[in-house]
Amino acid sequence: MTDISADLLALTTTLKMAAITTVILLLIGTPLAWYLAKWQSRFKVFFEAIVALPLVLPPTVLGFYLLLAFSPTSLPGQFWQSATGSQLAFSFSAIVIGSVLYSLPFVVQPLQKAFEQLGDHHLEAAAMLGAGPIDRFFSVVLPLTKASFITATALGFAHTVGEFGVVLMIGGNIPGETRVLSIALFDHVEAFNYANAHLLSAGLLIASLLLLSMVYLLGNNFNKRQQSAINS
Amino acid sequence: MSATPNYLTLAFKLAFNGFEIAVDQNIHLSAITGIYGDSGSGKSTLLRVISGLEQKAIGHVSLSGALLQDSEQKCFIKAENRQIGLVFQDSRLFPHLSVYQNLAYGAKRQKQSTLSIEKVLTLTKLNQLQHQNVTQLSGGEKQRVSIARALLAEPKLLLLDEPFSALDKTTKSQMLTILKEIQQQLQLPMLYVSHSLSELQYIADQLIVVSAGKISQAYPIHQAIHQLNSSGETSAKTSLSLTVAEHLPDYGLTRLSLPTSQDNVCSIYLPLLEQTAQPNLIGHQLRCIIYARDISISLTKPEHSSIVNHLSATISAIANSKTHALITLQVAEQQFYAQISLWSANRMALTTKANVYIQFKANAVHSHHYTESSPNA
Repeated sequence: MTDISADLLALTTTLKMAAITTVILLLIGTPLAWYLAKWQSRFKVFFEAIVALPLVLPPTVLGFYLLLAFSPTSLPGQFWQSATGSQLAFSFSAIVIGSVLYSLPFVVQPLQKAFEQLGDHHLEAAAMLGAGPIDRFFSVVLPLTKASFITATALGFAHTVGEFGVVLMIGGNIPGETRVLSIALFDHVEAFNYANAHLLSAGLLIASLLLLSMVYLLGNNFNKRQQSAINS
Repeated sequence: MSATPNYLTLAFKLAFNGFEIAVDQNIHLSAITGIYGDSGSGKSTLLRVISGLEQKAIGHVSLSGALLQDSEQKCFIKAENRQIGLVFQDSRLFPHLSVYQNLAYGAKRQKQSTLSIEKVLTLTKLNQLQHQNVTQLSGGEKQRVSIARALLAEPKLLLLDEPFSALDKTTKSQMLTILKEIQQQLQLPMLYVSHSLSELQYIADQLIVVSAGKISQAYPIHQAIHQLNSSGETSAKTSLSLTVAEHLPDYGLTRLSLPTSQDNVCSIYLPLLEQTAQPNLIGHQLRCIIYARDISISLTKPEHSSIVNHLSATISAIANSKTHALITLQVAEQQFYAQISLWSANRMALTTKANVYIQFKANAVHSHHYTESSPNA
């Protein structure tokens, strides 16, 4: 395989991982953010700290513990093996699970803040008009916190694309399975293949910059509207 | 709308903001039942419990026998299933929806609707505004949308929590008139919370007083206001219904008559009512308030006075406080309250059963009445 086609494969693996991770993050991060926003207990800070851990922890620490958990000799690893028939460690599923944990705060935190800001006022009004909880979420919460959902999605996606430590620990370097862009880049540098390293680095840098600029541009516009709408 | 509910049974306790609201009352619902109390007395919480927004209330709530919640039976009908409407003080319109979409929000979620959006737009005089963004509306317009939205959810009972307290006086009068018309057209029972007695006097048929988490029985509006006079919490006033007799535009006055069982008609004059709209109000009942501090007492008939209103009255009670005397007087079947200085009371040697004259200026007669064909709140 040429370097270029290997790098393209790493790119598709990365995008696939980031896309799947982002979808899972929105599905579990939304209810999690909702409960953290509404929950009133002194234990809440503990759970907030757990969600925020990946922000401060070296990814390799998370990766190390996940590696232990995913090994065929541990309980989660065994369970996965008996349920799917294949090993969890060094698989695509493993790096998706790792990414979900690693990018969790980037999705949960903006959503939690948005739900807290939204408050109960509009939800109570909707309930008085006959809307049940699910109905209220889709007809009131989602449209009024759209800006935060866009921010959460983009940050979750971008952060997953940029992941290295966790993948290295639990995914290894299997082309088409767990070899993502950051790993491919590391390989090029180790092989003194600076031309390809430049290509990947500059590509990632520009793509990330563009994505973040777009997030902030959209976020600013939407946020202004979100704020004025909620406060009106 | 299904059968109009006629009573509300409340027997619950709820701790909130460091004190407890404890209610045990069976309220016969009239057209509009007023709920009066100071801020923080628990009147908003009372509405929230009836609405189903306070799940922590312990006890029993039912509407015409239909159970809404009972903590012993572990029964709690959620707010969205109670068919009770609530108009919030801060309107709480959905900012991402237009006026029309806000109205449709409630209408869409009903199994059977008897009201059309078009009819409600007309009732609330919102036809011109239906395509507007709700964030651009004025305070009065927002509350009209809020009421319209609540009506379209087809409630059996409509609760209003200080809906017009943030509005200026003119807009408030327009809103009260519109609300009263809506009530008459739809025959929908309402509970109306306010800390303004004059507002409640205009709109409510009966009044419940909330004080420090306890609620009183419902009394007919004039009687309830007179009962508050003796509590000393509010400035004493006479609350009465008068019939519009004739307009005297040349003098800038309107003459009202006080119904009496005797043949002699008592006339009371107030500043000329606006007559731009149909009908001209002759024969209509008008609720008026006269503050006790605006009524003075004379021992002789004040024939040489600029004060237009003077009525022959009999003193039925005298209550002295540190600074003044509150005199209760009877004019035919109507009670009046006059507040005079202790000095005057002593000097005149007033006693119960004494026959005296009360007098007050036309300007002292207050009424929320407002007529204008198209409100532009």
